Amino acid sequence: MYQYLMVGLLLFIIGLLGSVFVKNVIKILISIEFMLLGININFVTFATYCDNINFDGYVVALFYIAIGAVELAVALYLFYLMYTKKQSDNVEKYTDL
Amino acid sequence: MIDNPIIFYPSFVLIILFAMITLFARNIVYSLLSAIVVFFFGALFFYVLGSEYNAIIQAAIYGLAVPIIVGISIMFCSPYYKNPEVKKYKILTPYITFLCGGIFLLAFVYLVLMSLAMSPDTFHYLGNLQVNSFDTIWAFAKGIFVNYVWAFELLSLLLLIVIAGFSMLKRRDI
Repeated sequence: MYQYLMVGLLLFIIGLLGSVFVKNVIKILISIEFMLLGININFVTFATYCDNINFDGYVVALFYIAIGAVELAVALYLFYLMYTKKQSDNVEKYTDL
Repeated sequence: MIDNPIIFYPSFVLIILFAMITLFARNIVYSLLSAIVVFFFGALFFYVLGSEYNAIIQAAIYGLAVPIIVGISIMFCSPYYKNPEVKKYKILTPYITFLCGGIFLLAFVYLVLMSLAMSPDTFHYLGNLQVNSFDTIWAFAKGIFVNYVWAFELLSLLLLIVIAGFSMLKRRDI
């Protein structure tokens, strides 16, 4: 069990560091998806090892996958609108909406 | 299969390695390709843990659909489209709107179809259907339509609102 939790933790840390320190907007969005993937792995791990009847973790992971896709598409559309004005994918230039 | 070290440890090393490559690669296309590998390894972990349904959804959405719109965004940032002679926005705006709206429409249709397929009234033999040893289909149906039915309805409503929002943004021509 703990090895899968370690995978989720490492993915979450990589995503967190990437979303904080990387300047490229697309890499930031991918890093956020890594964080979601790590959380989902933890949910599925706990559901498999600790909840063999209802599998609530599977259902929550399913919702998170759908919401993650929604969030990524909305963020990419906002990035597209910002790029048309700022002409850059550097997040430091996005100081206003 | 869950505790098989031959499957786990190579996958563990590769998923972390490709996640690091995604962050540190200078070429954004290599970052996207590495991210696709990471998402597929995530689906592999879901499968190994006994959640085949989540693995399929993860591979379909994050392995196929999401990289397409991210790739479109990368293409949009390429030097070719920075040429002022190319009327980039007029070319790309309909495509990006169509792709983003299309993904939400597909997700909405998928949720509706899944609700029909998983409803106990639709298929009467579903109670006797056992896909694997964990009886995952029964657990999903009970979770989505009994325990978390409000979350399911709110998610469907969220997808609908986002589709309407995209169409309004396009109409305002921001």
